Amino acid sequence: MAGQYSRLLDLAKVQCRVFSLNFNPERLRLGNKVLRQRLRGPALAAWYPKNTVSFRDLQDTCKPLGLTTFDEAEDDREEAIQIAKLRGKGRPKKKRTAAESRTAKKKK
Amino acid sequence: MSLLSPHKYLFRAGRSFQVHSSKIYVLQEPFQLTISTKLATASRTLSSSSQLGNVADSRTLISKLEPIERTSPQSQPVVELPVKPWEERLDNIDLNARLPRSVQALYLRPLRRKAEHGLPVCDLQLRSYSVRNLEFFADFALRAAYYLNLPISGPVPLPKIVERWTFPRSNFVHKKSQENFERITLRRLIQIKDGNSQAVQAWLAFLRKHAFYGVGMKANIWEYESLETAKNMDQALLEVEKNLEPHLSRFGRRETETSETEGSLSEFLGNERLSLNKGPLANARSG
Amino acid sequence: MSQFRAKKLDLSGFINSRIIRDHTKRKVFEQYEPERQALRYIIRNTTLPARARAQAQLQLSQMHAYTRSTQIKNRCVAGGIARSVIRDFRIARYQFREQALAGELPGVKKASW
Repeated sequence: MAGQYSRLLDLAKVQCRVFSLNFNPERLRLGNKVLRQRLRGPALAAWYPKNTVSFRDLQDTCKPLGLTTFDEAEDDREEAIQIAKLRGKGRPKKKRTAAESRTAKKKK
Repeated sequence: MSLLSPHKYLFRAGRSFQVHSSKIYVLQEPFQLTISTKLATASRTLSSSSQLGNVADSRTLISKLEPIERTSPQSQPVVELPVKPWEERLDNIDLNARLPRSVQALYLRPLRRKAEHGLPVCDLQLRSYSVRNLEFFADFALRAAYYLNLPISGPVPLPKIVERWTFPRSNFVHKKSQENFERITLRRLIQIKDGNSQAVQAWLAFLRKHAFYGVGMKANIWEYESLETAKNMDQALLEVEKNLEPHLSRFGRRETETSETEGSLSEFLGNERLSLNKGPLANARSG
Repeated sequence: MSQFRAKKLDLSGFINSRIIRDHTKRKVFEQYEPERQALRYIIRNTTLPARARAQAQLQLSQMHAYTRSTQIKNRCVAGGIARSVIRDFRIARYQFREQALAGELPGVKKASW
């Protein structure tokens, strides 16, 4: 009987070697299930849509080649800023020091 | 055709008639015009009917043409030529002008090859949300398989996949008013039996090339090997090594080799293309 | 955390700070996943010395929170909402309704049975 058991064990061993499994007749906790798990990272990291090529990228590649590009939306924006400046509605000047800032004035 | 003047029309018709039958009538002057005009109408209707591939049309045509036969001057022949009766000749025309068999087959159910052993080689599953597209593409796949000599079974309609979602129409407070949505995926299974694996690959590639919109494909392929796979691989290795030899001999730099390319290498590295463009839009893509 | 965040914005579509944060967590998790799994293996393997296992436990617990997968939350790609997000489409229920009714989601129809 014992001989039969050892033979079965040998068979299981060979089976595990052939199919590259873990031979673990004592059923120890080897943590092998962690190794069997697939990595979830790539699937999770692909949830949000990636950056695609934008007009800015095209411009950046064209510039070193000495080619000029025309971005109509950007042009419109700059024009609008110019008009706002002429009307006195432009961006306020950046306060560089603490003394210049508005809160400092209020405190006084 | 209808816009042409009668003269040109005649000419055209006469030519097309000659193409159809090699024998030509030589007729007396007074009869020639009437007959050739009749022929013109005949050949015109004929050509249109042959385009349609409609047999019934040509039958009615023959009955229409009967009066011509009476007017034709067979009673007073000028040159003796073997002449067949009209009906026979027109039948011949119809035979010559039929559509190719492969085109005719499109109007019929797809043909199939018979499987000899019934060993499944490839399972192709088609999925779509619309029946029309799915049926059309399944039909296309069957026909393609026939011409590639692949025995096929299917298309088997697999169970539909019904997904349903229910959402409140607006905020949480109004939970009582909800809306249902569903998505029904239709499936068809096409199985290829005992086909050559390369033919199966070609078939799949063909289907991918002519993929139809809104139809997804998924294929499982089984390949059968003999039990002496390892031995065969060992034998194939010699062949592979022989084939690879010329390529591998060019790989890397030999120590014995003198560097003739040194001057050109610095030139190559200083090349404008290499320094300026490290691949277009490299920044954007790496993000 | 700013040390993990990409220097240049690498997302497109709808973006808000919470989406950027979640995206950063996802990338960090992807980067450290093998390391975490290795530590987890050491911890679970009872045949290894107890000292090594305890060390692994400590190391795992001392890793940055962003390397943990439990920090990741599925957010709506089109609106940034974190609740009632449908995994198949990656959008929340309101966006789903709008897009489905506009016919932008292939195969999705109003159902009644």
